[in-house]
Amino acid sequence: MKQLSAATAPSLPGRRRSPAKALAGSIRNVVLAVYSLLTLYPLYWLFVSAFKTNQEFFQHPYSLPLKPVLANITRAWELGHMGRAMVNSAIVSVIALALTLLLAALPAFVLSRYNFRLKGPILAFLLLGMLIPIHSTLVPLFIMLNRIGMLDTYGALILPYTAFELSISIFIISAYMSSIPKEIEEAALIDGMGYWGVLFRLMLPLAAPALATVAILAFLRYWNEFAFALVFINSQALKTLPLSLTIFSDGFGTDYGLTMAAMAVAVVPTIVVYLIFQEQIMKGMVAGAVKG
Amino acid sequence: MTNAGRLRSFMVACLVPGLAVYALFAIVPIVWSAYYGFFDWSGIGDPKFAGWRNYVSVIQEPLFWRALKNNIIVVFASILGQLPIALVLALLVNRNTWFFRAVRSAVFMPMVLSTVVVALIWKYIYHPQIGVLNYALKLIGLESWTMPWLSDPDINMYAVAMPIIWANIGPYLIIFISAIQNLPSEVDEAARLDGAVGLRKLVLVTLPMIWDTIKVTVIMCIAGSLKAFDLVFVMTHGGPAHTTELLATYMYNSTFAVYRYGYGSAISTLIVLVSAVLIVFSQLLMNRRSSS
Repeated sequence: MKQLSAATAPSLPGRRRSPAKALAGSIRNVVLAVYSLLTLYPLYWLFVSAFKTNQEFFQHPYSLPLKPVLANITRAWELGHMGRAMVNSAIVSVIALALTLLLAALPAFVLSRYNFRLKGPILAFLLLGMLIPIHSTLVPLFIMLNRIGMLDTYGALILPYTAFELSISIFIISAYMSSIPKEIEEAALIDGMGYWGVLFRLMLPLAAPALATVAILAFLRYWNEFAFALVFINSQALKTLPLSLTIFSDGFGTDYGLTMAAMAVAVVPTIVVYLIFQEQIMKGMVAGAVKG
Repeated sequence: MTNAGRLRSFMVACLVPGLAVYALFAIVPIVWSAYYGFFDWSGIGDPKFAGWRNYVSVIQEPLFWRALKNNIIVVFASILGQLPIALVLALLVNRNTWFFRAVRSAVFMPMVLSTVVVALIWKYIYHPQIGVLNYALKLIGLESWTMPWLSDPDINMYAVAMPIIWANIGPYLIIFISAIQNLPSEVDEAARLDGAVGLRKLVLVTLPMIWDTIKVTVIMCIAGSLKAFDLVFVMTHGGPAHTTELLATYMYNSTFAVYRYGYGSAISTLIVLVSAVLIVFSQLLMNRRSSS
């Protein structure tokens, strides 16, 4: 975020720090710490319970596992076909991600660099996609995919995922490209690089930070998506990770350790991504939310 | 080919693939659903023309109105829950120390979790026998407050709204933090010189200066509440007895479980109309800002 206030902040406490102020400061820190812990508590409970037998779960539901067991994890992995589900989620997410980057970067370049008659209408058309309540497309998409024989395939997820991520992706990339000075590409054009050369060898590498933000946001969205997968995917062999979790809530709802273990497995990838890229994720998600 | 012609074909080649996928899978379904709404179709055989019947029976269906009411409950819960918590936290963490950054990260964390996981965790938190919530109430001597949170029709909608609040505070916190950090520092100085400190400064200086931001976040709450589907679907399936039905789950339950695709299309179209009305309403809220 802004560094602006960070520069002025250290001088504040030093200037006049009465005991009352110090006390207020520590109360504030305690409140913040408690709130943060409350937010993280469900996640902590999830990971702790994943390593408990059902018996221990009922005897000490909130303590650390006394005798940690891995049995839940391995059983969840097998019963939920989670290995298969993870591969499916990875296939869908990676292909949709590649498609999103390509199909967003090309229009973003044109929209950020050239003025033409249809530019306004195209931007408005893209904005429309961010306003559509996504679940209202479930039924018509189901009928359409059924007609063209695409239900229950990876494509049934990849294409709608990409379509709904394109608006925000194009806006993020073209906003970034607008900030790149035009002189660079004009020089390259004079050197005979051609438009495609300028785009692929010059602009895309320069826009890498924006592409990275788009990629991270899209990955999280695709990896976690539930409604489309629920409606468009039927065969066990194609189920994605969020779908495989619902087996546990419906069928094994009383085997708490098992369910918790399945969820723990499913959230680890997103938490790792979050811990590495949190600044980009925060900024990107806020940008997406404000535009929408 | 002339130079202008080359540029033209380059621009077309860049724009068309992305816009085509976007139009086909995000925009066209909306149009189709309005059209399918005029037919009866059970998934097999030919659709039969039904005129306005589907639309009329959706509007006459009390469940549709209950779902709409529940969606509005979620809107108000988001506005009254997320915004005050986010604002208070933002006022407390508006500097850039490691501790404040950690608080920010913790609060934002649920945003990257799969909604399925959030829903399952909260299902356990609310669990009448083993849930943390009832356990904590007993612990502090409020045994009479314990209840079956998700099955009592008087409160289960509010119980369902809690995880939505919990999971979505992050973006609002970030937005408020940057709004507060972007306030000019002269204002801070002037307020101090005029003796406006603490609560007085908050009410008389800070809040009015970020009022526009608050309005934007209210609009975000309205738009965001229409996206709730996964959470309710996994936690309650809209039950018991449809008491937690949202528009999207009502659409799902009256389409895919009973094979009434025409009826479901009509509901989808009405969802689009409802959100269009809400968006226009939000725009009016926005415009009042610019005229005042």
